Amino acid sequence: MDCYSFDRIMSDYIDANLSVKQRQEANEHLSVCKRCSAKLADMKNILAEMKTLKITTSSDFESRLMDCIKNSKERKESRFIRLFQEHSRPISVIAAVFLLVATSIFVYTSVVIPNASGSLPAAEIRTTAPVNNNMQAPVNVAASAKPALSSSRAKSTLPDTNKVELPNYNQQIMTVNKNK
Amino acid sequence: MYKDKIKYTDEELVKRFQEGDERAYIELVKRYKDRLLNFVFRYLNSFEQSEDVVQDTLMKLYTSAHMYREIAKFSTWIFTIAANLAKSELRRQKRRRTISIHTMGYDNKEYEIPSDDYSPERETTSNYGEKQIQQAIDTLPDQFKTVIILREVQQLSYEEISQILNISIGTVKSRINRGRLRLQKMLKELKEQ
Repeated sequence: MDCYSFDRIMSDYIDANLSVKQRQEANEHLSVCKRCSAKLADMKNILAEMKTLKITTSSDFESRLMDCIKNSKERKESRFIRLFQEHSRPISVIAAVFLLVATSIFVYTSVVIPNASGSLPAAEIRTTAPVNNNMQAPVNVAASAKPALSSSRAKSTLPDTNKVELPNYNQQIMTVNKNK
Repeated sequence: MYKDKIKYTDEELVKRFQEGDERAYIELVKRYKDRLLNFVFRYLNSFEQSEDVVQDTLMKLYTSAHMYREIAKFSTWIFTIAANLAKSELRRQKRRRTISIHTMGYDNKEYEIPSDDYSPERETTSNYGEKQIQQAIDTLPDQFKTVIILREVQQLSYEEISQILNISIGTVKSRINRGRLRLQKMLKELKEQ
């Protein structure tokens, strides 16, 4: 090992990060090279001194920190209150509008939409006689769903082929009632 | 303040603070204020500014403790915050110095802004004094300076330094080696002056 190589591994030598073989080579070099031995001793000295470097905070550091935290908390709270006080009118207006919109949406979804879907376009559904008496009628669900969901304006746009022929259940019910 | 200090690890204290125990925060402040100052001061070489940075770090701990997850050690987390704040402060300092040099006239030869707000004169028994070591640290480029302070002053492991600086352990080792050699060279020059 030469001096240049030792320089490169000196740090690992100090921190004991070398393999047994590398350490042995370094030790052999140190035993013959006064320059590297002196450099290593000097480096160890510097590092030992650096470990002793200590500095402490001022005696009032903690109280200043706590004051700082307290102030920032108060500032945060007062900022929110001030913001509300300064802009109370627009905030109230926005809140009222929001409430109105929310109520409208609620009313529309809970009252208007169920009614709209409930009123089936009766004219579109052509009733037919039941195929048999045990009320088993083949119904095209997909096809029947379409006119039920669509609004009344679909009446004019839908071609005749899309019209669903449902069995006449009313007639069946009436027959059953008569039999009773 | 907790009487049974040894009972709680840093991580347990943070957890308690996250749950709303303010005494745990105070205990953490007591444990870390000087360690953080020692690190930041070696970096900035200005006592007042270093105290401000430590205060900001501990404020951040107060406001962002909920961000801490027990994946990393608490010391790594808090030193990462302090290192970032110290770096920002150093950048600001450099910008300020550049501006002040630009605004100076040709007659004004005082380009160096000495750091005179804290000058520990304590000389150790060995070859180099604290002042000389601090001067030598100041001359190191940032990338070496941080690893050297974290390793030699704070006594952190390679792994912890690697996590704080978000660099590989190989890079940490290489920077420590090069940083130490530069520091030694600089101290030798200062001694010969």
